[in-house]
Amino acid sequence: MASEKEFISLLNQHQKIVYKVCNLYMDRHSEREDLFQEITLQAWKAYGNFRGDAKFSTWLYRVALNTAITFFRKEKNKPAIYSTDIVPDQTEENADPIEEQVSAMYAAIGELSKIDKAIVMLYLEDYSYIEIGEMMGITANNVAVKMSRIKTKLKTGTQKHFATT
Amino acid sequence: MELDELKYQLKHKLSTNHAGRSQEDIAALLTKKTSSVIGKLKRSLRIEIACSIFVIIVFGYVGLTSKYQSFRIYFFVFTILSVGVLFLLFYLLKRTTQLGGTTLPVKSNLQTIVNIIEEFTKRCFQFTMALIPICFIFSFLLIYNEPKQMPEAERLAKHLFSSPWQVISFVVIYMLLLTVGIYYFAKWYLKKLYGNYVITLKECIKELNEE
Repeated sequence: MASEKEFISLLNQHQKIVYKVCNLYMDRHSEREDLFQEITLQAWKAYGNFRGDAKFSTWLYRVALNTAITFFRKEKNKPAIYSTDIVPDQTEENADPIEEQVSAMYAAIGELSKIDKAIVMLYLEDYSYIEIGEMMGITANNVAVKMSRIKTKLKTGTQKHFATT
Repeated sequence: MELDELKYQLKHKLSTNHAGRSQEDIAALLTKKTSSVIGKLKRSLRIEIACSIFVIIVFGYVGLTSKYQSFRIYFFVFTILSVGVLFLLFYLLKRTTQLGGTTLPVKSNLQTIVNIIEEFTKRCFQFTMALIPICFIFSFLLIYNEPKQMPEAERLAKHLFSSPWQVISFVVIYMLLLTVGIYYFAKWYLKKLYGNYVITLKECIKELNEE
C-alpha cells in the first residue's frame, strides 16, 4: 500500500521524536520498546486523518504525547531500575560538570508529572506557548504559568540530584 | 543551572538514547496488537458483541420453540434486552474506533477517553443490575405458573421452616443479600478493570485545568 510505505518512510525519518517521548516517559528499556510500539500503532491508525496541513513532526508529537500520557502498564514486581543514562558514573573522578548537571536535570525531569513532562518536551523543541497550548488543549497563559512552576521544580530537583552525585 | 541553559544538551540526551529502527522494523510493528486501554476496551466490546449476537440467536430460538409459556416469555424478554445491549455496544465501539483515528489536543483526548470508559462501565453496571429484578420476576412466574414437584426440596423446606412467614422471610433476605452482593461485586469488578485508570486520567485533566 502506498500510504503504508509513505507512513513508514515518514516515521523512519522522524523516529527520534518517538524515542524522545519514550525516553522521557519510561525508565526501563522494555517499557520504552512497548511505548515505541504503541505510539507507532496509534500513529498508523490516525495517519488516515493526517491531511498535511500541519507538519508531520508536530502531528507526531501530538500522537506520541497523547499515547504516552494515556499509556499504563500493570506494575510488575521488579526492583526499581535507574537508567544508566540518568545516573552518572560516580567512579569517574574527572566527570564533566556540565554532563553531571544535565544528568541531574534529566533525573529531575523524570520526577515531573506526565503533563509537566509533555510541556517540557515541547518547550525543549522550541514550540511557542501558543503552539504548546494548542497541543495540550489549554491557553497560552496557562502554559506560561505551568512553565514557570516547572522551571522552579526543576531547579530544586536538579540541586537535589546534583548534591547526591 | 536553569532549564534554558541546558536546553540543547537535554534535547541531545533525550534523542540519542536509542538504537534506531529500520523501515522493516517499523513495518513489522504495524502488524502487532495494541496494548492501550482503549485497544483492550475495543477488543472487549467486540467479544461482547459476538456474545450478544449468540445470545440473541439461542434465546430467540428457545423463546420461539419452547412449549412452556414462562420459558417463552423469559427468553423473549432476554432476547429483547440483548438487542438493546447490542445497539449500545455498537455505539460504544463506533465511538472508540473514531477516537483511534483522531489526534485531539491532550486535554480533549483525555476527556473523550474518560467519557467513553465511564459510559461503558455505567451501562455495564446498569445492565447487570437490571438483570436482578428480571430474574426474580421470572423465577416467581415460573414457580407459580408451572410448578414442578421436587420432593427433596419440599422435605428440606419442611425440615428448615415451620411456618410460611419463615419461608417468606428467607426468600426476602436471600433476595436482598443477592442484590447487595451483586451490586458491590459489579462495582468492585468495574473499578478493578477501569477505575484506577480513569482516576489517573482525571488527575491529568485536573492538572491541565489548574491555572
